Amino acid sequence: MGRKAQKNDSLPGSLDMLILRTLSRSDLHGYGIVQFIQQSSGNELLVEEGSLYPALQRLELNGWIDGVWGVTSNNRRARIYRITAAGRKQLAAETRKYARLTLAIARVMGAQ
Amino acid sequence: MLRRLRYWRESARRSEALREEIELHLAEKAAELEADGMTAERARAEACRRFGNVGLKREESREIWMTRFWSELGQDVRYGCRAMAANKAFSALAVLSLALGIGANTTIYSFMESILLRSLPVADPESLVVLNWHSRPPRNAGKEWVHVMHGVQGMAWPGGKGSMVSGMFPYGAFEALGRDNPVFSTLFGYFNGLHHNLAVRGQAISANTEYVSGGYFRGLAVSPAAGRLIDSEDDRPGAAPVAVISLATSQNRFGGPSNAIGQPVLVDNIPFTVIGVAPPEFFGVDPAAAPDLYLPLHTNLLVDGARAARMYPDGNFYWIEIMGRLRPGVSMAQAQAALAPRFHQWVAATATTGGERANLPALILNPGAAGLGSLRRQYSKPLYALLTMVALILAIACANIANLLLARAAARRREMAVRLSLGAGRLRVVRQLLTESVMLASLGGAFGVLFAIWGVRSLTFLFSNGQQNFTLRAELNWNVLGVTAALSVLCGLLFGLAPAIQSTRPDVMPALQNGRGGGPRRRAQHILVIAQIAFSFLILVAAGLFARTLDKLHSVQLGYARENILLFSLNARQAGHRDPEIVNFYADLRQRFESIPGVISATLSQSSIINAGFAGQAIRGPMKIGPVTIENARALAAGPRFLTTMRIPILAGREIDGRDQPGSRPVAVISERLARTYFDNGNPVGRRITLPDEKRDLEIVGVSANLRYGGLKNEEESAMTVFVAVSQFPPDRVTYALRTAGDPLRFVPSVHEIVREADSRIPVTNVVTQAAEIDRTISRELTFAKLCTGFAVLALLMACVGLYGTMSYNVARQTGEIGIRMALGAQRGAVVWMVLRRVLLLAAVGLAISLPAALIASRLVKSFLFETRPNDPGTLALAGAVLLGAAILAGYAPARRASRIDPLAALRQE
Repeated sequence: MGRKAQKNDSLPGSLDMLILRTLSRSDLHGYGIVQFIQQSSGNELLVEEGSLYPALQRLELNGWIDGVWGVTSNNRRARIYRITAAGRKQLAAETRKYARLTLAIARVMGAQ
Repeated sequence: MLRRLRYWRESARRSEALREEIELHLAEKAAELEADGMTAERARAEACRRFGNVGLKREESREIWMTRFWSELGQDVRYGCRAMAANKAFSALAVLSLALGIGANTTIYSFMESILLRSLPVADPESLVVLNWHSRPPRNAGKEWVHVMHGVQGMAWPGGKGSMVSGMFPYGAFEALGRDNPVFSTLFGYFNGLHHNLAVRGQAISANTEYVSGGYFRGLAVSPAAGRLIDSEDDRPGAAPVAVISLATSQNRFGGPSNAIGQPVLVDNIPFTVIGVAPPEFFGVDPAAAPDLYLPLHTNLLVDGARAARMYPDGNFYWIEIMGRLRPGVSMAQAQAALAPRFHQWVAATATTGGERANLPALILNPGAAGLGSLRRQYSKPLYALLTMVALILAIACANIANLLLARAAARRREMAVRLSLGAGRLRVVRQLLTESVMLASLGGAFGVLFAIWGVRSLTFLFSNGQQNFTLRAELNWNVLGVTAALSVLCGLLFGLAPAIQSTRPDVMPALQNGRGGGPRRRAQHILVIAQIAFSFLILVAAGLFARTLDKLHSVQLGYARENILLFSLNARQAGHRDPEIVNFYADLRQRFESIPGVISATLSQSSIINAGFAGQAIRGPMKIGPVTIENARALAAGPRFLTTMRIPILAGREIDGRDQPGSRPVAVISERLARTYFDNGNPVGRRITLPDEKRDLEIVGVSANLRYGGLKNEEESAMTVFVAVSQFPPDRVTYALRTAGDPLRFVPSVHEIVREADSRIPVTNVVTQAAEIDRTISRELTFAKLCTGFAVLALLMACVGLYGTMSYNVARQTGEIGIRMALGAQRGAVVWMVLRRVLLLAAVGLAISLPAALIASRLVKSFLFETRPNDPGTLALAGAVLLGAAILAGYAPARRASRIDPLAALRQE
């Protein structure tokens, strides 16, 4: 009722896309995702930790990721997230959009 | 959506998981920080700091999953409450008009539910069927009776295509159908024994009696409140006479069901033993009559004597009603197919002539779940008419509120525009507005139920109209309340939807700019007002027609006194009095009644004049004057001073008096019309009326004025009356009439006392004033007239409020325009006329639409009218005039306000 499917805003650097991308490499739990994004961006991108969980819930509600209880590397119980087929499709779409956008921005910047 | 629902179900577990997840996150972060050299405590604090507000984030995460629907609904309800509180006058008006509309609908529906829809309170009512038959009417073209049914005790009613339907059968048919029955597990018979004298320990009451066959209680699957019920062993000639009584009777007479078992009682002076008490909810098979006493079928041989003995073997006398319970898996159609040939074969053998053979009754089965249909036949049409009316009223109420909401939507247009431009979804705003209107409607529904409680009570009172043991019990059960709730929500959506959509139109910019509404809303308002006026006109016409009918009925010339007469009935024969003593007993009582101080005169007759049509003739067979048979005359056995007491003028000779004794010459008094018809203006006094069947002659001793017989709606021909002496043709039951000085009911205690002194075994029944008894025959018309008048006032009021609201709004909207007009020199009168002209235009359009509808609809109530044509021009004109008058009244206040507009102030506002 009165509620749209929760779409990512698709701004560059958006959290949803980053999470999906991270999960497309390997299944991880919440803290693992934060760490992976930080490390793979060379500590350039700092994920606002508090925003991660609402984002995860949103992605799960949309059916793009799936969370199951598992065990972390240091043997603690955690929810491990896994990307779904729909999630991969969404990731592909967002990647394309992101590429177009960065290209456009690059063009503008280059024109200067 | 499905996923969301599942999630909602699991939300508690989900919430716990989220907490654990965040906890883990913080722990891992802290561990990492600790590895970098922080103390455990500081690491923990730093982790929390970096995470942010844990509670808020958790809340946010949950919010994403938590069905937003509920939280938004909560918001909407809170907002709705504030909106309602902010607009108290509007809310109160809306709730009140809805409460009246929904209350009226609930009341009428609860009656329909109890009469038309409710099942008998027995196990598995769906497998019960009622046996009926249908044939062409018994009278042929020459008005001769040609039918295998030579006599009937009970009812026949018109079926489709001019046929006749009845539920009465000869006993032989009951036996033939019940023998080796393949389709019914039980087939049982019964007949209404009307009133019998039930004496318990010397105290007598008049008990409504049902004679039932041995399979009756078994077939209905009723279990006793105490003792046992009648079974096949009790229902055969010569069995010990036993009786089952209703729970109410056991409580009133024995002080409880268990005390009654095994007690001796007298039914019309015949000893019976009470063996059981029927359960409290059981009222027999006819919702119209709740028996006090159940007797085995064959005990009518003891109680009714020779007359009953003649009924059993007579294949042409129809008197027993039959119901059956279908065997499991047998459909009604199968049962009909199995039984119809059997009945045909049986009934063909009872035909005595070719004419009778050509019009044999054919068996039909009807569903028996709701019991017999007498109440349904009597009330279904009036109830449907009433339901239509209250539905119209509710429609007017809804239109009214929709109208008010539209006007209010104009006021809230800026608010809506702001909300929309701030990014609220249109659907979301519509939903919020609908929540508000459904809240209003629900509140209206809740108050409506209160109105309905009162309504059911007063309508029961109106319907019963003084009838003793009125059995129609409407109640507000869950079924009714459920319908009311659904109706309320529907109303809320109905009147809320259009205004909600209107006020959230996406063209927000103009509204933001100047806050003035556009054209479409005004058009919608006008359509609503026109609809209201059209509906009100329909109800006004109905009210007018019924009021006119009532007026006609009240102006009917009865030919006898209506006021200051007390009526009551006694049946001494049922208490054991026999000929010839019974004549003296009745005569003696009459003299004692006449000697009560304040009683001017007392008389007795076989029945009251109003009931004479149902009480049967006082004499058997035709009446002849010489060789000529008197057609269409009624004979009524009356006692001394009957004409005096009833204030019927004596035109010639004398009335029946104390000289007319059982042994003396039989006499008659005839009415004027009869005298003119058969004696050609000659003096009939001294002439004779012959009774071939009774082998007696009557000497005409007097001529009375004409009187109207048996009810107000009867034809003129009922004015032909032959009074015979009650002493010479003694009936079983008599009705006394006392002419009193002052209120007749004041004398009731004295009457009871005198009868108790004379014989305490005789109950005094049907105590009523003549005026009340006359009104009872027109109770349906009275009820209709009262209800419709009430409904019409309500409808008119609501329509006027709607009109007033619309015009006020229009005037407010046109303030600027009117200001300019006045500044340019328009006179006040012209401004008033400008507004009123629009009012009249709306009313005229409403009338024009409604008139054809009224002409068609009034034909549907034709059967309720008396000497009034359904399209009575006077009534239509009056209804139109009332409506126009009310419209002008409603429009005058806004018009006046318009004329008082100060041009300067108005223009400055612009």
